[in-house]
Amino acid sequence: MASFAVVTLLVVVSLWLYAVKRRPGELDAARARRIQNRWIIGGGLILPISSMALLLVFGIPIGYRMLPLPVAGQQVLQIEVTGHQWWWQVRYPEADIELRNELHIPAGQPVDLQLTSNDVIHAFWVPRLGGKLDMLPGRTNVLRLQADQPGTYHGQCAEFCGTGHAHMKFTVHAHAPDDFAAWLEGADRDE
Amino acid sequence: MSDQQQNRARLHREYDRVWGNWPGWGALAAVNHTSVGLRFIVTGLVFFLIGGVLSMLMRTQLALPEQDIIGPELYNQLFTMHGTLMMFLFAIPVLEGVAMYLIPKMIGARDLPFPRVGAMGYYCYLFGGLIILSSMALSIAPDSGWFMYTPLSSSTYSPGPGSDFWLLGITFVEISSVSGAIELLVAIMRTRSNGMSLTRMPIFCWYIMVMALMIIVGFPPLILASILLELERAAGFVFFEVAGGGDPLLWQHLFWLFGHPEVYISFLPAAGIVSTLLPVFAQRPIVGYRWLVLAVITMGFISFGLWVHHMFTVGIPQLAQAFFSLASMLVAIPTAIQIFAWLATLWTGRVVWSLPMLWILGFLIIFVAGGLTGVMLALVPFNWQVHDTHFVVAHMHYVLVGGMLFPLIAGLYYWLPHVSGRMPSELLGRWAFWLVFVGFNMTFLLMHVTGLLGMPRRIYTYQAGLGWDWLNLLSSIGGFVMAMGVGMLIVDLLLHFRFGRLAPRNPWNADTLEWAVDMPVTTYNFISLPDIGSRHPLWDDRQLPERLESGQGGLVEIQADRRVTWGSDAVTGQVREVVHVPSNSWLPLQTGVLLAVVCLGLLTKFYWVALGASLLALLVILRWSWHNGGHPLAAPLRDDDPQDPPLHSRTCDGPGRWGMLSTLLANGSLFACLLFGWFYFWTVSPQWQVPAQAPLSATPLLLAGLLLSAAALLYHRLTVRLCRGQAQGLAGGLWLCTALGLGHSLVILWLMLDAQLTPRSLAHDAVLAVMLGYLLFHGVLATLLTLLQALRVRLGYVGVRLPYEPMVLRPLWSYTLGVFWIALAGFFLMPMAW
Amino acid sequence: MRWRPHHPVHLILGLCVWSIWFVVLYGGLSVACQLTPPEPQQGPFNWLNVLLWLSTLVVVGLLLWAARVLWRAAPRAEQPLGRHIGVTSAGLYLVSAFSTLAVAMPVLFLPPCI
Repeated sequence: MASFAVVTLLVVVSLWLYAVKRRPGELDAARARRIQNRWIIGGGLILPISSMALLLVFGIPIGYRMLPLPVAGQQVLQIEVTGHQWWWQVRYPEADIELRNELHIPAGQPVDLQLTSNDVIHAFWVPRLGGKLDMLPGRTNVLRLQADQPGTYHGQCAEFCGTGHAHMKFTVHAHAPDDFAAWLEGADRDE
Repeated sequence: MSDQQQNRARLHREYDRVWGNWPGWGALAAVNHTSVGLRFIVTGLVFFLIGGVLSMLMRTQLALPEQDIIGPELYNQLFTMHGTLMMFLFAIPVLEGVAMYLIPKMIGARDLPFPRVGAMGYYCYLFGGLIILSSMALSIAPDSGWFMYTPLSSSTYSPGPGSDFWLLGITFVEISSVSGAIELLVAIMRTRSNGMSLTRMPIFCWYIMVMALMIIVGFPPLILASILLELERAAGFVFFEVAGGGDPLLWQHLFWLFGHPEVYISFLPAAGIVSTLLPVFAQRPIVGYRWLVLAVITMGFISFGLWVHHMFTVGIPQLAQAFFSLASMLVAIPTAIQIFAWLATLWTGRVVWSLPMLWILGFLIIFVAGGLTGVMLALVPFNWQVHDTHFVVAHMHYVLVGGMLFPLIAGLYYWLPHVSGRMPSELLGRWAFWLVFVGFNMTFLLMHVTGLLGMPRRIYTYQAGLGWDWLNLLSSIGGFVMAMGVGMLIVDLLLHFRFGRLAPRNPWNADTLEWAVDMPVTTYNFISLPDIGSRHPLWDDRQLPERLESGQGGLVEIQADRRVTWGSDAVTGQVREVVHVPSNSWLPLQTGVLLAVVCLGLLTKFYWVALGASLLALLVILRWSWHNGGHPLAAPLRDDDPQDPPLHSRTCDGPGRWGMLSTLLANGSLFACLLFGWFYFWTVSPQWQVPAQAPLSATPLLLAGLLLSAAALLYHRLTVRLCRGQAQGLAGGLWLCTALGLGHSLVILWLMLDAQLTPRSLAHDAVLAVMLGYLLFHGVLATLLTLLQALRVRLGYVGVRLPYEPMVLRPLWSYTLGVFWIALAGFFLMPMAW
Repeated sequence: MRWRPHHPVHLILGLCVWSIWFVVLYGGLSVACQLTPPEPQQGPFNWLNVLLWLSTLVVVGLLLWAARVLWRAAPRAEQPLGRHIGVTSAGLYLVSAFSTLAVAMPVLFLPPCI
């Protein structure tokens, strides 16, 4: 996508530069009209419409996969994340675990995060795991997240939420499924 | 001295006497479009410089990781104010200023149709801007971002007065923008010189017409949102709080309903500048005039269908997001049409290289890059990833700086000789360009990368070692390079007034009429008004300026010291009437000052002061409306009144009616947004609550409706008869209308008091209270103005020969009638059916 | 004042229709999702999407028809001005029809309420 954009930019700019330098001979009206239609229809209609079509062909399936559609034959783990000025409250409703500024998930499986806020609008974002979603007071948004590899990922608040915004961070620990089950047990016992 | 020269000198003296500004402090009473337009431009540039300084402070803080030069409190104020200054106090006002300065000259008029409104707009802008800036000096500046998202900006989370400064100040400035837009729209539609049909208008006029319509429809959502939020903050009404049934998302909808079109509002006039300059430097007519008109109109509409793309991360169904995503991509088509029409113009012309062209080339590179990242952002999955990162910061600056600032500077250089009579310096200008261009790209090109690496927006500092360090440092250095370029530009502008080479008339060999006026510019533009036979009057007839100056055009003689210009048919441009416009007046300044006092009274919570000043402002405005039409201070009836064409105040369809219709369009947009808010709450507000018993009772509602309908129908009938020349019973009829209107207003007032609303605890009641207030305001306004008309009939300022003013007022009655019944359906019947 | 084929109101009428249709599309979707959302398993083939798509086709048909009427009427205008406005308006109706169709495309691919 980026390279396509760069190429388009270069082509358009060089065309302009050439057009500026060019010294056309006398043009009769009909010829000028042909040139005009060629550029406007070619560049103004065909170019953007075809690039849009291309973008959509790639874009729609990606978007489709990010939908929190029911997964066949599998219970998706539900985690509640609530934004506060300026920290994250994480709850596992089934295991009754509550955490602060950290999130543990099984790697290789989708999880659904129930996002909401206790005060102002925040936004949940782990750059390396995918898109962001706003956390709004009074509403719950569901974000489907999946970490393919176990590891530690950094997340932060992406919607401006006041003086502590820059420091409103959290970490995501993705465990291999077995480790995750063990962690759940352990965390449960600690309570 | 030959006879001809003597005659010319005499005409100039005469025109100077009638059209000149008063000397000394009297210049503050100036209303002519040249002075007001230049004031807008200069003030806007000052705000631009201040906004630029703020951005330099931010870049200093971000240059290195973990710096403590500026803490989060100040940083939040800085970025809020930077955005606010650049968008509200620089971009729109400067472009409107440019349009106000140029439009009458381009369409061969001597002034805008409502000069006092323009002057008042300027004072509203100036005072509003100063009020916002003063908060910075008191270090209580707004700090919730230029988008003011609730609930962060509501009184719980922003208890200080910062948000109030923003809401009140910006509303004040927006009044100025909307009034300017109405004026420009009516000017273009109704005051073109004889024969300038729609298709003979310079392309710039199409751009400004669409821009004006967009402002008229697009600004009221924010005005409404600001009023609601201020009511919530100051009076505790519930609109954006979940607890009472409100919804913070409504703010985002209203804000972006304004905010996205605003980007195009600032792009369109700039693109209009490009479309005006390119053909001049290519020395051939613009290619694809019709295509451009089509593209501009399309852009004006489609840009309203994009607002949700700022809200892709709030959790809206994906299908709905996809609609907005596609609409966002669609906008690329009219943009591409323009880019390629410009290319074709250059392709078929012989380009004369010069300084403005350099800036246009800069515009092209930066803007196309910004447009391409814009198409990427329209793609929802990508948007989820980079939304609210520095990638978006970079994209937005590419679009706005590239799409607005660069063409604006090109335009400034191009029209400088017009104002000063001198040519700019090529050398300094080139240096300035290259510094700005290189500095800009260094700052923002790198910011794309910083954003893709995950740096969010609006953070005052960041940790070292995330890969953002050197990028930020280079961005900061680039920012300072750009600042040096801007400094050099300012120096160049200032020096040129002193040292610039004297400019010949029409130095660029342009085709449009604004170059037919004297240089440096006068306050009346033309001694005589041209007949237009094509789109390129100055290329057709190189002697035109000379001929106009020696009085060989239309409307030469000054009669009764009136300032006059043509009023013409909106489509064909054939002359229909002589529009007389007011001369210097203190009323705009008085209104501006009083409104500023209202604003300050609200800010400091001295509500009695605010109320008193509002009443005074109302008095001044009524006095202003009094000095119109047949009033001795305007154009009293005389035996030697021109008959063919007549003065506009002697007709039934003058510019005033068009101004009223445009104002009502803005008003209707506000009303529609209120209605939208109501339905929005009913359907999607998370904790919407409806009181057990409907607060409004049917009988008084119907009574109010019947009284209003009777008043409006009677008024309509009176005006129809008046325009047929039948004035029997006019005065009595107007008195009856007044009485009916008064009855209607009293019933509404009674309804409001009787309903026992609890707007402080229920969003339902809060919206209802605002709607009732809205209806009451309109009822009272229409009644009051009709009362004045009745008085004017008695004094002889309105009558068979002066039917103009009742006709101006007529749409207000129809509008009031319309909104009443719609409100009744939406607020009374709909809930019953729910 | 009759809205003859070369009346300038046609310059904006098509896109006004587009705007209203857009609001109805978005509003209707939101309201329907709030009141009786179709099952997400049905994918894009459910009563709501079908309804949205039908409304789209009606609007597109209407706009195309208008474009055709104006296109044919344009050469009959007495003045070049009327012809010019007629042709431009026809173009704008065409643009509106295209925009309507383009914006509604996702109705064919996406389930409505998630």
